[in-house]
Amino acid sequence: MLLFGVGVVVNRNPVASALCLVVSFVGLASLFISLDAHFLGIIQILVYTGAVMVLFLFIIMLLDLKEEARRALNAWAVAGGAVVALCLVGTLLHVLGTFPKGEATLPPLVVPEGQTYEDTKALGTLLFTEYVFHVQVIGLLLLGATVGVVALSKKEASK
Amino acid sequence: MPAYFLEIAIVLLGLGLLMVDAFATTLDRRLLGHLGIAGVAAVLAGLVFGVDSSASEPLWGFYATDTAALFYKGLALVCTLLVLVLALEYAPVLESYRDGRPGRRGLGEFLCLPLFLCAGLMWMASMTDLLGLFVALETVTITFYVVVAYMRRNLGSLEAGVKYLILGALSTGFLLYGLAWLFGLTGQTNLAAIQTVLVDWKGDTTPLLFTMALLMVGLSFKVGAAPFQFWIPDVYQGAPTPITAFLSVGSKAAGFIVLIRLLEPLLASPIRHAVLLMLGVLAGATLIVGNLAAISQSNFKRLLAYSSIAHAGFLLMALAAGQPAGGVSPNGVVALYLGTYLVMTMLAFAVLVIVRKAGGSDELTAFNGLSQRSPFLAFALVLAMASLAGVPLTAGFFGKFFSLVLIAGAGQWALLTVAVVAAACGFYYYFKVIRCMYWNDPVSEAPPLVFSQLTRVAIILLCVAVVVLGVYPKPLTCLLAP
Repeated sequence: MLLFGVGVVVNRNPVASALCLVVSFVGLASLFISLDAHFLGIIQILVYTGAVMVLFLFIIMLLDLKEEARRALNAWAVAGGAVVALCLVGTLLHVLGTFPKGEATLPPLVVPEGQTYEDTKALGTLLFTEYVFHVQVIGLLLLGATVGVVALSKKEASK
Repeated sequence: MPAYFLEIAIVLLGLGLLMVDAFATTLDRRLLGHLGIAGVAAVLAGLVFGVDSSASEPLWGFYATDTAALFYKGLALVCTLLVLVLALEYAPVLESYRDGRPGRRGLGEFLCLPLFLCAGLMWMASMTDLLGLFVALETVTITFYVVVAYMRRNLGSLEAGVKYLILGALSTGFLLYGLAWLFGLTGQTNLAAIQTVLVDWKGDTTPLLFTMALLMVGLSFKVGAAPFQFWIPDVYQGAPTPITAFLSVGSKAAGFIVLIRLLEPLLASPIRHAVLLMLGVLAGATLIVGNLAAISQSNFKRLLAYSSIAHAGFLLMALAAGQPAGGVSPNGVVALYLGTYLVMTMLAFAVLVIVRKAGGSDELTAFNGLSQRSPFLAFALVLAMASLAGVPLTAGFFGKFFSLVLIAGAGQWALLTVAVVAAACGFYYYFKVIRCMYWNDPVSEAPPLVFSQLTRVAIILLCVAVVVLGVYPKPLTCLLAP
């Protein structure tokens, strides 16, 4: 997952970058599934890898991005980006190394004999009871974004 | 009436106006603006007279209705009200940069989006858990991306939109990473619960410091503190002027309420001194950068942008004091400062909108001889500038004065010196504007300055507020008690 994440940034060809992102998302989904969050993992594949990334690819192919691949790299920008990334990774490693909770793993999920654990149901209940307010606010957020996209991209013949 | 009805009312108002805009195709869009103004005023009246903050909250532990929350809600409402007035005044300029038939150039949506922004700001003022805080913050930021780039045939506006989008996304990344760390360290999303964990934090403080640094980077972008202030001048200059006003007041107030809420648990933890030190350094850098860079500006909008950076410096300085002094508390001073800042900044932007509409330029030269073209506007701008500079007997004085009192009480003499020098610099560039208006001759055949009665009333009220708050700040000082 991390390897392909690097691939997204390093690749000069936008299509290759997008495909790397797809593989990275698959890695993320497998991470979710290994944490017993099957529903989230599958949604991650269906929505992000399936729908969102295909849209991404469409858009990339519709735009003519040959110039992007030819553009010269700014050495300072690359060096700066690398330094910031290395700093963050270094801090992360240091902090995780000194932080006791970072070493422990979660206990395995205990499911009583004869029952199944329905994570879809649990997630749904959580979203529509405890976090229903947040879901509504996100609804407003998406409405604002939609209105904005329409208002910004709408073309009307001027008369 | 419980406080969360206010946000619901604002959202419903926004949705209703959007529906009217979509279906009533022949309606004059200005009517939408007037409806919006009336609606926001009604909600404001509801906030002042009808809120029962003791009502039992079904909102469940993540929605605070303390005095601070209500004050910032009021701030958001007043700000939105004034932005709508300015937007109506600015409509001809806006429409000249969009395609389409006259009257169908997206003015309707432009008048509805501030309402959604307002709802987001009001939620932000109340949220006390990390998830809610972040969701509300994003509602505001994403809507701002849209309205900043709204004049799409104007390259400046598009450039501002792109810059704001990229830097905003970067800062959001930092903030979200910091919030994730905070959750990872404490296992809680509620700020009160986080505080109880952090108060008796026994282990290594390195992860806490790392978290604090990430949060500070993210929020410094939002409030415009140096060295994360690069986006401010370009975005402020490019955005439609009413939106610039909204950004400089609403967005800043929201950034500070989030900062205050997130700092509270960190200030109670063992890293208190590091937090205060970092705030002090940020405040000093912001004061220096904001004030020195403002001196050489020749564009009024950029001048106000640097002035907003400078004011962020004073606000951060009040927080950096970290302890009450002389009967005032840091959070109270921030609230008072933001309240007065709203009044004077809105006044300056109102005059700018009118001058821009008539002269087609935001440059300082467009203000040449304003005293002869319109003594009323010139006088209003003098009040605004004097107040921004912090002249006694204007609203801006008390905010600066109390933040200096706080920092002196905390014994941080280096920061105090920087702040005094910075305030003195401020006089120079604010009075440059006054010099343009009174000592320079107007350009020949300057077009007449026209503005609506509504704007005139708003400007008069703001002028009165500047003077009244400068002489009698009692309505706001009740917030100061530690």
